[in-house]
Parts: sequence; C-alpha cells; structure tokens
Amino acid sequence: STLPAVAEELLREIRKAFQETSHVPDDLLLGLKFIFGPSAVPALDLVDQRSVTRVRSPSGRTLYQVLGSSGKLYTCYSSCHFCTCPAFGFSVLQKSESLLCKHILAVYLSQAMGACQELAVSEEQLTNILLAEEEDEG
Amino acid sequence: LCRGGLAERLCRLQNRERSAISFWRHQCISDDKILSDKSGVLTVKILEIFEECTIQVAICQQLEQSPATLSPEDAVINAEEPILKVLFTRETAAHLKSRPQDVIHIYPPWQKLLLQNADVPVIMNTYFSQKVLLSEHSEAREKTYGLTKTLIRKNILSLAQTFRLDDLDDKLHQGSSENQVPCAPQIHNHGDSKQLPLALSAVNDSLLEMVESQGAVGWRDVQVRVVIQRVYCLPAREGCRSHTQGNKPLCATLIANSDPPNVRLCLLVQDAYGMFSEVQLQSLSSTDDIEQYCRRWEGKSCCLAGMKILQRTTRGRALGLFSLIDSLWPPVVPVKVPGQSQDSEMMTTDLPPPSFCYILTVQSGEIHVEVDEEEQISNLYQPPAVHGLKEILRIDGCNERCSFWAQVLYRRLQTKHNVPIDQREILLFVTDSTLQNVVHGIPKVVAVSVTASCVLSVEIMEALSAGSRLVFFKDALWGNGRIICVERTVLLLQKPLLCSAAGADLSELTGPVRLDELDSTTQASSVCALRGTVVGVNESTAFSWPTCNRCGNGKLELCPQDRELLYCNQCSEVVTTPVLKMQLEVFLSCPSRSQSTVKVKVWHEISIALFVLLTMLLFLQTYEVQSVLGKEVGLLNCYVHSVTSHPNCVALEEIALL
Repeated sequence: STLPAVAEELLREIRKAFQETSHVPDDLLLGLKFIFGPSAVPALDLVDQRSVTRVRSPSGRTLYQVLGSSGKLYTCYSSCHFCTCPAFGFSVLQKSESLLCKHILAVYLSQAMGACQELAVSEEQLTNILLAEEEDEG
Repeated sequence: LCRGGLAERLCRLQNRERSAISFWRHQCISDDKILSDKSGVLTVKILEIFEECTIQVAICQQLEQSPATLSPEDAVINAEEPILKVLFTRETAAHLKSRPQDVIHIYPPWQKLLLQNADVPVIMNTYFSQKVLLSEHSEAREKTYGLTKTLIRKNILSLAQTFRLDDLDDKLHQGSSENQVPCAPQIHNHGDSKQLPLALSAVNDSLLEMVESQGAVGWRDVQVRVVIQRVYCLPAREGCRSHTQGNKPLCATLIANSDPPNVRLCLLVQDAYGMFSEVQLQSLSSTDDIEQYCRRWEGKSCCLAGMKILQRTTRGRALGLFSLIDSLWPPVVPVKVPGQSQDSEMMTTDLPPPSFCYILTVQSGEIHVEVDEEEQISNLYQPPAVHGLKEILRIDGCNERCSFWAQVLYRRLQTKHNVPIDQREILLFVTDSTLQNVVHGIPKVVAVSVTASCVLSVEIMEALSAGSRLVFFKDALWGNGRIICVERTVLLLQKPLLCSAAGADLSELTGPVRLDELDSTTQASSVCALRGTVVGVNESTAFSWPTCNRCGNGKLELCPQDRELLYCNQCSEVVTTPVLKMQLEVFLSCPSRSQSTVKVKVWHEISIALFVLLTMLLFLQTYEVQSVLGKEVGLLNCYVHSVTSHPNCVALEEIALL
C-alpha cells in the first residue's frame, strides 16, 4: 500500500518544518488537502482551536480526546486508527473512502505542531472514558 | 474559522488553486496546442493503476521530454527509465480516465515526496494533468474505451498501522511538557539580570496585526509593545479548556486533587489601538509574589515576544474577563484607529467596547516579557477606581467590577460536605467608614463572598485569621446585591499607590465597630448584634470542656501518670489551671424582633454577659433554669445561621469579631 506511507511522510515533513521554523509552508498545507481531501480544513480548524487533548494515565496508556465543532467530545485511540465519530464509521470503515477522519488527522497535526493539551488521569478514569464509548453505542 | 489560523490559510490557498485548475482546464479545451511552457512538465507512461481510498495510484515510468513526436506504441518500456508513483485525486482521475499504457503530461505545480524506506518517489498535487492523445488512432480508441468500464483494483488499507511522526532520536525530547509552562520561570526585566539578546525585528504596537500575520503557531520573531493594565493570578484549570463528556466535567475535579497549588500569573494588557489581551505566564510556586508583581508591573509598558495564541474568546464565553475589560473601557487617552496610515490624527476614544479577546501564552522555553519597570506609568493605564462601600451598594448594574478598601470583621469558611478543600468559599464581613457613619438606611456591615476561583495569597489568609485587617479588594464583582471575589479579583494588604479615589475615605476606622441590630429584615448568613431577655434554655445543648490555658487546645487528655491531672499534647505539659469552656443554647426575647423565637448559641469564654451567671451555676454543680430566666443579655455580636418563617425562628451563634 502506498497512501499510508505518503500520509505519514507528509505529516513528518510538517512536523520538521514546524520545529525548524514555527511555520507550516503553503506547499505542505496544499499537500494535506491533496491527500486528505475534505478533512484537511476541518482538521486544521480543530488544531487552531486547540481541540485536541492527550489523555495519559500513570501506567503510560494514552488516548486522545477531540472536541468536535458541535461540542461533542470524540475519542481517538493511540494504538490504531480509530475514532468514535460517525464519519469514521462511515467513510473509513464502511466505505473505505478515507484514510482518517478529521479528528484523527487533527490529532496527528496537533502532535506535529505541539498543540496538544495534556491531561493526566487515573487508570480508572481512563477506563471510564473508554467504557463510556461502549455505553453510548449500546 | 479562526482568523489567522491554519484552516483559514488553507482555505485561501485552496480557493486560489481551484481557480487556477479551472482556468487551466478551460485553457486546455480552448487551446488545443499543449501549453507552450514546457519547463517542469513531467511526462509519464502508466504501467499499473490501483486505488487507495479515493486516491488513484499510478505506477509509471518517467519518459524523456519529447512529447510531440511520441506515440504510445513508440514508447517502449526502457528498464533504465525511472519508476514513479503518481497520485491522482478522484476528480482528476475521472477527468483523465487513464489506463495502463497511457501517456500523461503533468504540468507544474506538482510536488515530489520522497519516502523514508522506499526508492520510488511519489508525485502529488497532480491537478494539472492531461492525457497525451497523439494520433487519430488513439482518439478513436479512446472513445471506445470510454464506453467500457475498466475495473481498477482497490486496496483496502489496514487501520492497525499508526503513523510515527518522530524519529527515534526525537523520542527523548518529545516529553509531555509541550503545552505546560516551566516551573522555574525566567522573567526578564529591565534593570534586573542580563537579558538574552533576542534577534528580534522592530517592535510593533498592534496585537491584532501580529495575531493575523503570524497565525496560531506563534510569533517567534516579533515583539509587541503593550501596557499592563492588571496583574492577577488564575487557578490553573483556567488554562486548559474544561472538557466535558455529557455532564461530567473532567478537568475541574482533577486539578483539585493535585498537591501544589496550580496558579498562573496573568497579565491583562492593552495595545495602542485599545485592544486587550490576556497573557498567561508561568505557574507561581508561591502566591506571595502577587502583591510584588502588582506593584512593580501595573501601569508599565512592556514588550511581549515568543507568545502563542491559546484561545480567541468572546464576550459571551468569558463573562468574567469581559467584566474586567468593561471596567477599563473607554480608554482614558485616545487610541489609534487601525487604518492604512498610522498618522496620529486618527485617534479616538469613541469606540464600541471590545467583543473578542485573544488569550496568549508562552510558546516554549523562556518567557519574554520585558517590563520597563524604571519607566513611568503609561498614560493608557487605568488604575482601579476605589469607592466607599456605601457607593458600591448603590451601583445600579450587574457584573460590575469594583474596588474598595475595607476592614474585615469576621471570617467564615463555607464548607459543604462533598466539596473538596479547594472548592472552599469564604465569607468575609467587612465595613468601612462610609457604612459605619450612617444612621440608618443601609447596612453597617456587608458580606463579601470569596469563591474558590479567586486566588488568595498565604499572606492574606494568615492576615484574615489573625486579626482585624484592612484589606484592599481590587476588581471584585458587584451584582444582584452581593459583592463577590472571583477570578481576576486580587486581595492586597497594602494600599495601592495609584488609584482614583473618588471621594472614598481610605482612613482607618475610629471607634468601635457597630453591627446592625437584629430586626425583621435580618437574613441568614449575615452578622448582627442583639440584646434581649433569656426566656428559655435548651438543656440538651449544654456542653462544657476544659481547654489549655496556654495554647487554647480543646482536646486535653488525662495524664498517664496521674489520672487526676490534665495533659496538653500540643504544649507537651500538664495543665494545672484549665480554662473551662461552655456552650449553651439560650432562647431570647428580643424587642427588635419580637415576633420570632431567637435561639442563640453562646460560648462561655467570650460571653461576658452570661459569664458570671454560668460560673455560678458550675460552681454549684447544679443549675436551676429559674435562675437564668429573666436575665438581660446584650449586646451580643452574632452570626445568623438560619431564619425560618414557619416556625418563626432565628438561629444564631455568638461570634468574636476580629
């Protein structure tokens, strides 16, 4: 497969450019648009709004919470590409139309630009966040 | 979209690109000749196509630049020619309808990306692509092909693989402190230790311009000159957005459990255009410095550098911040009006109050806030307007910031059972000469509620418990008939150097403080004075205990050696003459509130009025209710616990004023 490697490399370039110049050049932004299509602008908007939080528990487990534009909080996993938003279920899982949803992309971009908020929680609290997703779906 | 943010930038770029693409496509149709500018054109022959998500991936061979004479049949696959992976968006692919063996021209601007572990370069941004149709033969073939659908293999991608953005070396540096402020701050001040020379460009005087031009990612190279209007501390949870899931706030409960007091020093600054911004600086290890910072920094100019935007907030979302901004509006001197030219004629004070405000924070590493401490106070500075309490009580408005200087008479901690210590609310009863010197009509004492979001220094806390102190309340909030201290309110022990005291009397109170007498208007959670006659005693509440005469410790123990003696483990000594404390609830008949049953919890030690009576009773080891009844009691200072109408009862507790 090609696309994941391309996406990864593009995000790495963004991170490198940002670390060196605190700035993301236009061509990389356009590259994001090319690869991720309609998710690019909403993902960047989420980064601008500092909507991504890395949640960490003492054992080292992490996950990401993204505050969506509607005010809903979505959970993205760190260990694989998964997001609790409906767009992920539809575009990525069902139709294989996208590689990522805008929230997962926002997580990567926030990582690349040091824009993640940090939240330390207990093991129990992390578990509750994960289990809460189950309740909603059930 | 955030103004000046990355999303907005990409939108603009994308719109430009879209126009360029449609213009180009139009050109291609109308002008059959291939565009004359051949530089940068990539010519490829497609070997294989497959799809991944909506991107079409074409494995191609790069061909030499001689498109005019090239025909598909002539282009023999030469093993020497480099292989490329060309990506097309769904739209471009639909437009091209490419097949293996097709030759495509890719016009600039396209992008090449080299992957880490792969030899084959990837070509992206291939919007400006055109298939080469070189002979009539191929045109006809093209038309037939158009009728039959080719099946293109679609790769399903695994979600198991996440992206690694950092290199292994970076892993050490990528800590969790990306958005946290270092605890050992280095604030650079003029006249203080040497500063690091920053290679910065000229100083700007507009916050908005800086924000718009630099975007959300930070202003490494630019300085902005602003005036510090206010210095205060915010509890740390203000810094991160409280995420809520359903109705369960995550942030608030967590911060309360952390041990070090998480408090951030913040500045409210204003630029030459009158625009405000809240700058959140480092965490303070001790809140005692706040008074120092206020004194040294308020009113001075400073240069900000190395900041980044944390948030852009609006009036509706940050009422507390905007009530403070409103108290500083309109500006006291004319401010510049943003325009093309920066001539000084364009100055005004007639502007509507701000509706948005940027909250800035430290980018990383050191904070660059250079305060010109030596310089004079700026003209733009608006010191807090100090008023007497009498005037404040008369303010007609809600959420108005007010400042006053008052004597604290009594302090009460409001602790509710489920609320952690951090969420404490303190009730202070204060007065000043404007309230004390009035005969009637307004209360003599006013309650000031201090919420948990108002950061109090250790100094203030000690002062409040020690004795009656004069405290300066800066930027407290008045509304709904109450004064409350919230975030951005600062309590100080010293009189401010500069303040516009509009008729306020900042002198100390002469003479004893008087409280309002208990009457029909007395409400719960207030203080009052009362006098009356004992009409009953609640025998079940009578309670006495010995206390240490040295330290007042109420938990004395029996001496292990001699069980007849008492021992204080705080003093580590035997208590030979303990002070007996008694608590008793009496019912009084008060002429000032004759309709109610008045129940007062009195304390032996401080109640001079009942002292003789009760010691007599103790001495006799008996007591007759009769002997207490009819006794006159007054004037007791009390705190009102509750006032009920059915039954008509007021429950009070005798208190000692500070």
